[in-house]
Amino acid sequence: MILRAQSKWSWSIAAYLFLAGMGAGAYVTGVVADLAGWERPSIPAIGVCLGFPSVLIGCMFLVLDLGSPANFWRAWRKPQTSWIARGTIIISIFMILGAIHLGLWVWPFHILDQAADCRYLLSILGALFAFGTMIYTGILLGALRPIAFWSTAMLPLLFLVSALSTGVMAVILIGTLAGVAEEAIRVLEKADILLIALEMFVLLFYFQATHRVPESRASARLVLAGTVAPSFWIGVVCLGLLIPLGLELASVTAAEGSGATTVLGTLCGLAGGLLLREVILRGGVLAPLKAGRFEYALTNP
Amino acid sequence: MRYGFVIDLKKCYGCYTCTVVCKAANHTPKGVDFAKCYQGEIGTYPSALRQMLPTLCMQCAEPECLAVCPTGATVQDENGIVTVDRDLCMGCKYCMVACPYGQRHIVPEWENYYPGAGDDLDQYQAYAKATWEEKNGYGVATKCDFCRERLKQGRQPACVEACPAKARYIGDLDDPESEISMLIRRERGFQLNPEFGTDPSVYYLPAR
Repeated sequence: MILRAQSKWSWSIAAYLFLAGMGAGAYVTGVVADLAGWERPSIPAIGVCLGFPSVLIGCMFLVLDLGSPANFWRAWRKPQTSWIARGTIIISIFMILGAIHLGLWVWPFHILDQAADCRYLLSILGALFAFGTMIYTGILLGALRPIAFWSTAMLPLLFLVSALSTGVMAVILIGTLAGVAEEAIRVLEKADILLIALEMFVLLFYFQATHRVPESRASARLVLAGTVAPSFWIGVVCLGLLIPLGLELASVTAAEGSGATTVLGTLCGLAGGLLLREVILRGGVLAPLKAGRFEYALTNP
Repeated sequence: MRYGFVIDLKKCYGCYTCTVVCKAANHTPKGVDFAKCYQGEIGTYPSALRQMLPTLCMQCAEPECLAVCPTGATVQDENGIVTVDRDLCMGCKYCMVACPYGQRHIVPEWENYYPGAGDDLDQYQAYAKATWEEKNGYGVATKCDFCRERLKQGRQPACVEACPAKARYIGDLDDPESEISMLIRRERGFQLNPEFGTDPSVYYLPAR
């Protein structure tokens, strides 16, 4: 009997998970830089500018994946038990706060932007909901009992670390292209090195947690040695972790960094972040039906 | 009352009548079976065993599909039957991934049963399509509802009525004197995957 992975959620959901995480991560990067008193409008502005639009584009992928895209507004209706409804509320509040934050640069609201207290309050609120946006997707997948690969406390953590890391990388990428001062980029790269190292550990423990039931073992086999393995080893491990880690280490240790390697490293890292979501979704093997000693793999998963 | 099913695996010989008659009764589109049958096999020759597993929606007392539904489109009626309100569903597929029994379906559009025939539907398929559109529609979750309309008319679900082995029973799980409650007690009826905590209303009687 060969257990099969779910096929209902595929690349468009992966794109949504990635963009929502990356956008929220970039927003947090910008806000932290602002609170730390970094020069505006460089890194803080880039982070905030990336936040709301990325999440919005991600949500468009989500809406297009719906069976009835025109009826997406129904998603706010039942926040009692459904993580889609809860997440919709979290992400909506984040987008509203992010849009307001963006709007602070538009005349005549720049007066509010000058008042640091007001901006900081908005930043902290926005960062809270950005964390919610990064974490809830892991909880959403984790709430699905038939897929043991997702039903683990490590998944929200994995998504959170990956979201922060890709968010920082997106800020580095745009910052480098926009010619932001190199010192700021170097600091972000150091932060990202720590995040990538942390992500490697989380990924290791994530797979360690798959030993428990046959379906999660099947997921691990599928991802590590099955049809999903090329995406995982080339996409997630090489593109997403090793290459950016190596290039960033080289960049922070070298006397003079090169813009081209920074751009290359962050682009690889972002592609790896997208593929991580894709790999997790494609690895979601469903539990078999059990009747006595017999087990039946679902054939229309 | 709580509608329940008993499927006797001793009697079932895997003829797929339930699958086909369900299709005829519910006019389900191509690729959609509300009453799917699975073939199970354990061991190797000469000690191999086979067992069929006919399935349908388990109408769980604690449905996962209902818990995860973000729009409130999934509802459980007073008889325990779980249905989808097509005017509330947005087709997010959360229930399809959450159902441990694979009993949720979303049909994007009607696909011709005959390959290469395009939109050219014969009168029977045109009738099936019209009936499907009237009752279920596209882009929203659909599922088995124990043939609720037939139950209201005092008839049995199509799969129960047609089963040539008489392996399927429907009745009231809340009534300890009902035929299905007695069968479950007497013959050690069991539910599929109780570990998910869904408390299915479909019980199976062991084959041997």
